[in-house]
Amino acid sequence: MSNVISFKDVSLNFGGVQALKNISFDIQENSLFAIIGPNGAGKTSILNCINGIYKPTNGSIEIFGEDTSNLEPDEIANAGVSRTFQNIELFENMTALDNILIGAHRHINYGPVQGLFFSKKARNEEEKARKISEDVIDFLEIEEYRYSYIISLPYGIQKRIELGRALAMQPKVILLDEPAAGMNNEETEDIARFILDIHEELGITVILIDHDMNMVMDIATEVVAMDFGEKLFQGLPEDAAKDQKVIDAYLGVSG
Amino acid sequence: MKNRPNLFTDYRKESSIFPNNTQKFWFAVLILVSCTFPFFLSSYWKLLVTTSLLTAIACWGLNIVSGLAGQINLAHGVFVGIGTYVSAIIGGVATSSVIGYELDMIIWLPLSGLAAAFVGILISPVSARLKGLNLGLVTLALVFIGSHFFSNLKFITGGAGLGRKAASLKFLGQDLEAGLQIGNVLLEKNDIIYYFSLFLCIVMGLGVKNLTRSKIGRAFSAIRDRDIAAEALGINLFKFKMYAFALASFYAGIAGSLLFTIAGGVEPGTFNLLYSIIFIAIVIIGGAGTVLGPLYGAFFFTTLPGIIQAVLHATGLSDTGFFLNAGEIERIVFGFFIIFFLIFEPRGLWGIWFRLRNYFKAWPFSY
Ligand SMILES: Nc1ncnc2c1ncn2[C@@H]1O[C@H](COP(=O)(O)OP(=O)(O)OP(=O)(O)O)[C@@H](O)[C@H]1O
Ligand SMILES: [Mg+2]
Repeated sequence: MSNVISFKDVSLNFGGVQALKNISFDIQENSLFAIIGPNGAGKTSILNCINGIYKPTNGSIEIFGEDTSNLEPDEIANAGVSRTFQNIELFENMTALDNILIGAHRHINYGPVQGLFFSKKARNEEEKARKISEDVIDFLEIEEYRYSYIISLPYGIQKRIELGRALAMQPKVILLDEPAAGMNNEETEDIARFILDIHEELGITVILIDHDMNMVMDIATEVVAMDFGEKLFQGLPEDAAKDQKVIDAYLGVSG
Repeated sequence: MKNRPNLFTDYRKESSIFPNNTQKFWFAVLILVSCTFPFFLSSYWKLLVTTSLLTAIACWGLNIVSGLAGQINLAHGVFVGIGTYVSAIIGGVATSSVIGYELDMIIWLPLSGLAAAFVGILISPVSARLKGLNLGLVTLALVFIGSHFFSNLKFITGGAGLGRKAASLKFLGQDLEAGLQIGNVLLEKNDIIYYFSLFLCIVMGLGVKNLTRSKIGRAFSAIRDRDIAAEALGINLFKFKMYAFALASFYAGIAGSLLFTIAGGVEPGTFNLLYSIIFIAIVIIGGAGTVLGPLYGAFFFTTLPGIIQAVLHATGLSDTGFFLNAGEIERIVFGFFIIFFLIFEPRGLWGIWFRLRNYFKAWPFSY
């Protein structure tokens, strides 16, 4: 199996804060790769480095074997990497459908002049994007919210629509930053089921951040545990639960 | 195969400009009625309505870059000026002090839009680097640079205080300066400008509508609302900000090419900071980010002097030496409306129209 993403000795500093300290790992194609760790461990920083919002202070990141240090976030996205955000970053003043259509942006191919005239090409491309979006809507079972403005939707549904927006990119890799945060048990189960479907049915490599060990234990194929910007552990989920350093990090937080 | 009861397939109808035939009908009626205006409006009102139509085009442009794409632009009037002078050079009369080639409108109309768009593209990289107020400051600088050029390039503009003639009207070889005789109807020059303006206003208004239902408009709104998320979704900020400035300036240039042909002449001092600010005010009053808002705003602003004069006249106040003159009242009313809309109705006149419409929709038997 080939590597989809490789971190090579990546460090990330913000002034005096070291968000990531010499992190190295490889993420294999078709894995469901979980990143766990307490607050401020550097989990979100890893995702931000992958999709180019942050640039590592040291070290390098390869995506599909290509060094990304000179790539902009939109170029990385167009290479097939999509994501959701820890604090929902939907376009609140638009409908769920428009949000998902924006997710399909990279599949729509026409320029501003054709947009101005809504030419036949534009019409066909829009129709294609709409089909992609409707497939996502169907997949996530959000038909009834299609025309709802994001502002008017409950938190759990918003999270699902953000997932839909990321899926409409038809990515090869999807980065999920705490998709189950703030959800009740039933909603968490729904999300876990969708993540498994994304991984197995759609064959997308999933990189998943979660605080909650339980969900990770159930669905992940590989786990990295972070604490204070350092990698504590990498391996199978069941081994993570037994690892003393991981247990300490979690106890350190709750205790 | 899963059962998909809610699968939706009629995409095309949903994204059409007019969702039903009633709307198509009223749009057609509106256009037909508009075509009869020159036959019963006074020349003063013809002037106001034509100016409204062209102002609407310019405001649509500003609405694309500021309302849709969220980029502050204090220099929109400069792009109108570029359109004006490109048309004046190509289509205007040469004198001992200014150049002019008296070419056909079919050449100068698109070129004034394209020239303005070109300058818009040149400054768009700045907006990719700067955001918010900083971008505002750079465009402010552009107003002063523009003013400097406009008043000093005397061979083009005639110089401050003097000005020059605007482009003259020749279309497809037909000289229209003296009007056009069709059968026993004589269309005056300003009637012809009115029809050109009406046509452009319809076409370019539909263009804005098309943008909002296209990938381009969605990308603009995405950049306006959350640029980091937009980028993470594969939207190239640099490219789309460039599109926004290019389209906005194109609209400004087209409007500018015709705006001064009605009065016949243009003075370079016209394109000062206030001129640009007025476009912003109109977009705010009309409803930023909406399709019809700039049209409402442009008509409201441009016809306001005419309405105030009519009111003063009807109430007899104009003769009795009311303590404010028409110009002062106009400024007070306009200033009041800006404040009112900023505070109470951010969606502008369009927002009020939208609420009224929903009110009547809910009314029993309204259909
Ligand atoms: N843009 C930034 N500027 C300054 N410091 C930052 C920035 N982003 C992250 N940090 C710091 O880097 C460290 C790691 O943050 P990060 O968001 O990656 O943690 P996390 O593991 O996602 O935590 P949480 O579970 O709370 O989401 C924290 O100390 C944080 O304060
Ligand atoms: Mg985080």
